[in-house]
Amino acid sequence: MAALVASHLTRRFDSRVAVDDLSFELARGEIFALLGPNGAGKTTTLRMLAHLIRPTSGSVQVDGHIGFLTEAPGLWDRLTVKQNLLVYAKLHGLDNPARAVDEALDLFDIAARKNDRAAQLSKGLKQRVALARTLLHRPDIVLLDEPTSGLDPESAREVRELILHLRHENRAVLISTHNLDEVQRVADRVAVLRSRLVALDTPAALRTRLFGSRLLITLSGDAARFSDTLRSTVSDIRANGRTLSIGVTDVEHTAPVIVRLLVEAGASVVSVLPEEAPLEDVYLRLLAGDEP
Amino acid sequence: MKRIAALLGKELSDVRANPALFVPAVITGVVSIVMPFLIAVAVPYVTGERLSDSSDFRIALEMYREQPATRQLDAEGAIQAMIFQQFLILLVLTPVAGAMSVAAYAVVGEKQARTLEPLLATPITTFELLAAKVLGALIPGIILVAGCFALYVAGAIVFAHAGVYRTLFFPRALLTIFLLGPLAALAALQMAVCVSSRVNDARSAQQIGALVILPISALLVAEFTNNFQLTSAVILQICAALAALNLALMTIGIRLFDRESILTRWK
Repeated sequence: MAALVASHLTRRFDSRVAVDDLSFELARGEIFALLGPNGAGKTTTLRMLAHLIRPTSGSVQVDGHIGFLTEAPGLWDRLTVKQNLLVYAKLHGLDNPARAVDEALDLFDIAARKNDRAAQLSKGLKQRVALARTLLHRPDIVLLDEPTSGLDPESAREVRELILHLRHENRAVLISTHNLDEVQRVADRVAVLRSRLVALDTPAALRTRLFGSRLLITLSGDAARFSDTLRSTVSDIRANGRTLSIGVTDVEHTAPVIVRLLVEAGASVVSVLPEEAPLEDVYLRLLAGDEP
Repeated sequence: MKRIAALLGKELSDVRANPALFVPAVITGVVSIVMPFLIAVAVPYVTGERLSDSSDFRIALEMYREQPATRQLDAEGAIQAMIFQQFLILLVLTPVAGAMSVAAYAVVGEKQARTLEPLLATPITTFELLAAKVLGALIPGIILVAGCFALYVAGAIVFAHAGVYRTLFFPRALLTIFLLGPLAALAALQMAVCVSSRVNDARSAQQIGALVILPISALLVAEFTNNFQLTSAVILQICAALAALNLALMTIGIRLFDRESILTRWK
């Protein structure tokens, strides 16, 4: 059973429709990314999923507890890291709040800073404390609003590793983000949102849907002179220096045939790789409504 | 109750970490302590004129000497006792002044610091949130007024005529400090928190909450002009009215606290 089911979620603010008829399911052990431009309704969606605001219509079914990391870390600056976490452990009614906090401090590697005031922490460290706070009550479903926004690359990587750790713990994770690189690295499925759901699939499937499958073959010499050799088998061929980019419908079947034809024609094949369109291209084409 | 205690603990830690918030209250407390000593002790001492010789105090003196509890005081002591009693009302303003800045910041401050949304994502109810916010402002105010009262009594023991300090332990005085004061402060703070959950600016909440000072000031003026006697019975009636007002304010506060509007419309 899905950990979270959103059915026909719609939210209006006066005459403005922030989220329009959004439906999806989130499974345990899955990292699901919600992509969209500013004002696309990502934060509104997360707030509805976290029961902070009511949908105008539609429903959210949840199997388990929710942890919600808001866009801003939202730590109390004058309190220490430990005090911040302890208040939340008590608000969640944990049996042994002090122990839960100690465990979180260790798990997130922030025990050394536990007596520092939140105001003294770097942005990355604040985000780590906020993530620890979000997970204090061991939620089954974790909603993360822009978890790496504004972080330096090292801090962002640390946060991404923590997100991947959540998948290993079989939790359902939903990330709202602009960061396509992050989606590429962690997400199992992607929903592109612009008030309405524009697309929902795995990153690979979205690429294939928009750009088809392509092979990238690198030769030891000029690739253009071998294009004609392949015309009888494939039509979509782009030669560039020593590489051939070839559109194919069935990679597993076509790749050995192409390699054999090239070798028979005297080409020295250096590498054969599936060519992946950048997720940014996929995203931009989806938002532009440029889907074949 | 556990969640109120948890958030209250945070509020008190926050106040401890930022004691400057209570500077207005400390100033109010100092003024309310020093003023009666200036009038009842320092001025007669410096000028060499006894208060009991002044015709201004004659009616008050007669009224005060009629009371069995103060009959044993000499004339100067009775007038000092009267002045100390009347200035107790000023001491009631101390927790209001002190806690107002804390209460006014309660909700709008959390919103501005972007700490409100994670808080609302916990199982905390609106009542628990508001109760913790109000108590977080009220408790330091009450501690401050208790400290000021202790200094007031100590000053009366040291500087006033013999036995005057005992009048500060009459039911009227104790009711004023420990019942009227906290209830008035609670009403002021609840007004401030109510407003704080509807405005974008802590100053608006502070100004509206401070309106409670007006009726308290009116009591003070009425007493000074001998138009009104704040007896124990009158204080109890005022306290009953304040208790009812506080209940109404809590109900209104919960209704006014619209989580959705606070999250989605405030910028």
